[in-house]
Amino acid sequence: MNTLYVEGNSLLHRLSARVKLLALALTGIALIFIISPFALAIAALAAGLLYASLRIGWRQSWLRLRPVFLTIFVVAVFAFFVSSAHEAATTLFRLTTLMLLAAAATATTTIGDFIDEITLAARPLERIGLVKAADIGLSVGLVIRFVPEVMTRYRAIREAHAARGLKPRPLTLAVPLIILTLKSADEIAAAIDARGIRGQN
Amino acid sequence: MSTRDLVLAALFAAIIVVLGLLPPIAIGFIPVPITAQSLGVMLAGVVLGAKRGTVAVLLVLLLVAIGLPVLSGGRGGLAAFAAPTSGFLIGWVFAAFVTGYLSERLISRSQTGLVQGAGFFLAALTGGVVVLYAFGITYLALITGLGFKQAFLGSLAFVPGDVLKAFVAALAGRAVMVGYPLLPQRA
Repeated sequence: MNTLYVEGNSLLHRLSARVKLLALALTGIALIFIISPFALAIAALAAGLLYASLRIGWRQSWLRLRPVFLTIFVVAVFAFFVSSAHEAATTLFRLTTLMLLAAAATATTTIGDFIDEITLAARPLERIGLVKAADIGLSVGLVIRFVPEVMTRYRAIREAHAARGLKPRPLTLAVPLIILTLKSADEIAAAIDARGIRGQN
Repeated sequence: MSTRDLVLAALFAAIIVVLGLLPPIAIGFIPVPITAQSLGVMLAGVVLGAKRGTVAVLLVLLLVAIGLPVLSGGRGGLAAFAAPTSGFLIGWVFAAFVTGYLSERLISRSQTGLVQGAGFFLAALTGGVVVLYAFGITYLALITGLGFKQAFLGSLAFVPGDVLKAFVAALAGRAVMVGYPLLPQRA
């Protein structure tokens, strides 16, 4: 599976994941309290420059940012008509700033670093018995491993429909996909336990 | 959580990801094209129940947050949480929980097929539409300053598609229960 991480050696790449995530969270909170569209426009410009400093390229950046930016844009246009130009500009610049900063953090942090950080953050939850921190990395690995498998099963079910001249319908595709996929849970769980990956249970 | 439950949640998270890779379909009487991914969230609840269903959805959101483009349309990364519609994304967790909880409460194996189907539909509709939109609309109204009324009206176009998905989820939930029952029984 492709990730959104981009190789590089910029300042953001070298900063630790924790610093980036904390900075992102704090900026997100700060942005809610800034209500001047002018100040927010400057913030958006600064975030844009930071993102540009990663040298991802116009085309690739557009592909990455387009879906979120379009939603922001549509909502801003909607706000312009039903509320006010002030409200529309605030929404547009505030969310664009947040989007650019978030995308910059995603592009400069590897999956491994993220998982280490999440595992660390889950330690206090482990102490109160809510989750096992090590399970988080394991589960993420499992999902990434299963996606191509499920995709292959989906294609096989579609082909089975075509071979029988049946029109593919949501229900006749989803039900066999779910049953076939979940039926392998026992084997996989046994394999994980046999290797003692989760330690003592 | 047992290893089997963890694996079931991970497998279902993979199913939700795959449903997001399928192209959106346009249906005549519904104004916006619908994606299968939010159907996956309701399915997680009706098939796995509250706890495992919630974990499956949390895993998908975790993949999004760590930078995998697993949302429909290849969206992903922390920026996906910066959109005005991100409330719907966060609402998925609660949608799966409520759908799962109601499914466990309302459905028992001794009921007739029709009653089970109706129970699953009610669970998917409450979790996947009512609870989901409560989160989505509240977030949209607060983050954009649109106000609740406007945010509500702006979201209405998506409701028919989601009601249809609740219906599909109900039928699929019953079919899976007949073929390979996993739903914990509370009732």
